[in-house]
Amino acid sequence: MTAPIAPGTQEARDYLADVEHELADLPADERAALLEDLEQHLAALAEEGDDCPLVIRLGSPAAYAEELRAAAGLPAQGGARPAPRRDELRRLLAQVEAHPLTGEVRRLWAELRPAWWVLRGYLLIALPSALAGQWDFPVPAALGSHVLGLLLVVGAIAGSVVLGRRQLTPSATRLLTVGGAVLALLSFLVAVGGTQSSTYVDYATPVVYDQAVGDFPLVSRYGPVTDVLPYAADGTPLQGVLLYDQDGRPLQVGVQEWWADGCSRVLRQPLAADGVPVPHAFPQTYVLDPTGGGLEDPALCDLVTDRPEVSLPVFPSAAATGTPAVPTSAVPTSAVPTSAVPAPAPTSALPTGAVPTPAPAPATPTGAAGN
Amino acid sequence: MDASQLLKGVLDVAVLAVVRQADGYGYDVVRRLRTAGLEGVGDASVYGTLRRLYQAGALTSYVVPSDEGPHRKYYAINDRGRSVLEDSGKTWRTFVDAVDGLLDGAPA
Repeated sequence: MTAPIAPGTQEARDYLADVEHELADLPADERAALLEDLEQHLAALAEEGDDCPLVIRLGSPAAYAEELRAAAGLPAQGGARPAPRRDELRRLLAQVEAHPLTGEVRRLWAELRPAWWVLRGYLLIALPSALAGQWDFPVPAALGSHVLGLLLVVGAIAGSVVLGRRQLTPSATRLLTVGGAVLALLSFLVAVGGTQSSTYVDYATPVVYDQAVGDFPLVSRYGPVTDVLPYAADGTPLQGVLLYDQDGRPLQVGVQEWWADGCSRVLRQPLAADGVPVPHAFPQTYVLDPTGGGLEDPALCDLVTDRPEVSLPVFPSAAATGTPAVPTSAVPTSAVPTSAVPAPAPTSALPTGAVPTPAPAPATPTGAAGN
Repeated sequence: MDASQLLKGVLDVAVLAVVRQADGYGYDVVRRLRTAGLEGVGDASVYGTLRRLYQAGALTSYVVPSDEGPHRKYYAINDRGRSVLEDSGKTWRTFVDAVDGLLDGAPA
């Protein structure tokens, strides 16, 4: 399809080749005719002796080809290809249109329109009030006045319904639709934002355990910790062990509220000599509620709550390691401390793996997460 | 107002009118249109229009050898083209009169 006589300059040849490329999708004879014209065109321009570059004089090859196609009544480049896709889309839309559910949705939408008129009238007043911090459900306190808020809401709803029933010009309808959409979106955002900001004072706290707060100062990955069960390295269950955190503060745990036998118990913390309860003596001491607050017959309650079975690690004998790791003072009695000063913690000499993982046993308290 | 949009609509009439005055090759038609005052007309638009009118049977063409460069394809109007031009001319005048009337009556 190259022209019989090539135009003079390299610039013209390049331009011709570029336009030819842009016309590549046309039938061969059509393309040849157009290129022949262009070739003459370029020759005529060359005769003018104008130094102006072709891309300035005629525009880019792509633009030239596009203009040529449009003027010659030919399809734009690639215009033939998307057509089937458009048809596909149109057929799909027609299918959706024809589906019985579409008619249902449309009818439902038409029936719900009056509800939307009322809602948008309400939101028109409620949203600015909410944004101004004067939100008060259900009647917004516009400028601090519920009466004014009520009047405004009634007025806005009436206006909105009148607008909705009236036949409007297309542009007014569009304006109304856009305005309504913005109003709905903003209201949604305010509603979502308001919910989030209020959750932390309401209900979420007992459910979210990733922070130790309130009634549950100590939280593990399994939930609130309500007791700590110390053992000596030789497996002896320890009583009345005083535990402190890494900064020397007494370790506090939450109160166990629910028990496996369904009976209620109260915490009886050991008292120091000055009569002040010592909350960090472990394990915690619970006794059956003397007031009988539980629903169960006290006779059915477990008088002694057994420790859960735990898997204790086996250490090399103390003689082999030569360390005085095994505390001898940890007698299983209610060793009530007389002072809050932490004694040399026996745990400091133990391997880190010495803390046993409690395995739940039938008599185990079921945990306090139930509320 | 963007004259190029108007041009698209009347380019057929303008090109036919130019060729009716005298036969011309592509670039010759471009120059004569510009000389007549249609400065915004695009080269490619004129070439494309000539091509389309030729294919529609409103123009005939003949080749004139050139001393320098390629030969030149001249376009000439035929009866069909004249008839198209007459119809288009009427449409154009009606259109212009209507718009003129609107513009003149604008203050009222």
